[in-house]
Amino acid sequence: MNATLEIQSLSRRFGNTAALDAVSLSIPAGQMVGIIGRSGAGKSTLLRMINRMAEPDAGRIVWGGQQVTALRGQALRDWRTGCAMIFQQFNLVQRLDVLTNVMIGRLNRRRGIAARITALLGRFPDEDRALALSALERFDLLPTALQRAETLSGGQQQRVAICRALLQQPHTILADEPIASLDPRNARTVMEALRTVNRRDDITVVVNLHHLDAAREFCGRIIGMQAGRVVFDGTPEQLTEAAAERIYGAPTTRPAHGSEPTEDAILAARWAVA
Amino acid sequence: MSADLVAAWRERVPGAFPRPRPLRVLAWAGFALWLGFALWWFEATPLRLWNGLSGFLVIIRLMIPPSPGELWLEILKGMGESLAMAFLGTLLAAILAVPLGLLGARNVVTNALFRFSLRRVLDGFRGVDQLIWALAYVRAVGLGPLAGVLAITTADIAVLAKLYAEAIENAERRQTEGIAAAGASSTLVVRFGLLPQVLPVMLGHALYFLESNTRSATILGVVGAGGIGLQIAERIRVRHWDEVAFVILLMVVTVAAMDWLSARLRRRLIGATSAG
Repeated sequence: MNATLEIQSLSRRFGNTAALDAVSLSIPAGQMVGIIGRSGAGKSTLLRMINRMAEPDAGRIVWGGQQVTALRGQALRDWRTGCAMIFQQFNLVQRLDVLTNVMIGRLNRRRGIAARITALLGRFPDEDRALALSALERFDLLPTALQRAETLSGGQQQRVAICRALLQQPHTILADEPIASLDPRNARTVMEALRTVNRRDDITVVVNLHHLDAAREFCGRIIGMQAGRVVFDGTPEQLTEAAAERIYGAPTTRPAHGSEPTEDAILAARWAVA
Repeated sequence: MSADLVAAWRERVPGAFPRPRPLRVLAWAGFALWLGFALWWFEATPLRLWNGLSGFLVIIRLMIPPSPGELWLEILKGMGESLAMAFLGTLLAAILAVPLGLLGARNVVTNALFRFSLRRVLDGFRGVDQLIWALAYVRAVGLGPLAGVLAITTADIAVLAKLYAEAIENAERRQTEGIAAAGASSTLVVRFGLLPQVLPVMLGHALYFLESNTRSATILGVVGAGGIGLQIAERIRVRHWDEVAFVILLMVVTVAAMDWLSARLRRRLIGATSAG
């Protein structure tokens, strides 16, 4: 099902600060959207709300006539399966092997008492195993299938997380700072994997990014957030130096003479070297 | 995904698919056999359990209403004695175990032979239960709470030393390396590099032992090592079940209070240590 994700004036306050301040967005199916902004701008909160890992104080999310923000029980779990989440710290179960971590993406397909009992016993059908293996092969991870997740490098773990997401057969992938903990080369492979998933599997990808060069390179649409509001929404070409300054509240590439370079500028420079 | 593709994957990566494991089946069968044998050996039949239950109900009926009896002062004194035994015994063990734990830690003492022999000696002490120690100390120092304190200390030193040693071995090397690199002597490396890391863990362990010893100190009196155990044993002997019930309730309240106190203490001490 290819529906547009409608976010309608979502708000959320934590104490005195507004994490989200009446955010409205419309994300058509198939887009690769990069959300940029400083830490604390509300990017993570927005993404977690779409997946319903966080709840809004006001506003709603609608998808294909379904009011996402009102889902409960099995319908909510189905929604979560449909918009797979990728995390900054990968969130794999370190002591389980890679194959099992990937097959976890199929858990919500176990319906009925018998299927749930076999799942509790840690058993997966052969079909799930074959699906997981073919996903791992796509991202050059097949040799690691029987290793524990903890033995893999960060870049490999994040690609395992993408495989897990793919086994959910989602319509959307939400990636929350997927490359913030990776070195430049691994960051690039992970971003390329997300792009492949977006183009070849026709999955909508919404990705939070700390700095804008990765967003410029990989995303067809960029949304800039600052202090809980959307302050930019356009193509990479429209994201001029002045627009970026509005989002980050400081020059992003050339720090003023005598001042410390901003963290974002350093990250941007690192990205450029890769 | 079609059955053909699944079969192809099974061919390519056989390790990813579950195989029949005859050894595992055998092990489970052996376990079931052993369980059945033990039940048969101890004559654990449903009938016996049912009859035991009715006997138990009679006791419970006799327990209601609980009553402190006439010697309630004795009971309170016994409870106080038990608490003091647990506190003193744990304190002694927690302190004496620190040097032993350091000596037993691989990253502090590098002499493998010494460490190995120390750990085996501690293993020996650990193999003997508190109650056995209590019986021995009652013979050695006579009836009363001192025997209980010594029993708790002896039994816990070995366990605490092992736990401390493990905490010390799990300490991060980089932090101690930082102290050594600044030119500190090895004792000062332990003091500033190791202690801040392991002290909260040690305190946590010691407080858990205090909780658990509050429980076990109530029973040491049964073998003559003082405390509330003696009171309860005497009352069971003369079948004053209402007074037994009172003592049990008192124990439950005391142990719960101790758990609460120790949990609060643990939060405060550990929070303060890690912040400082």
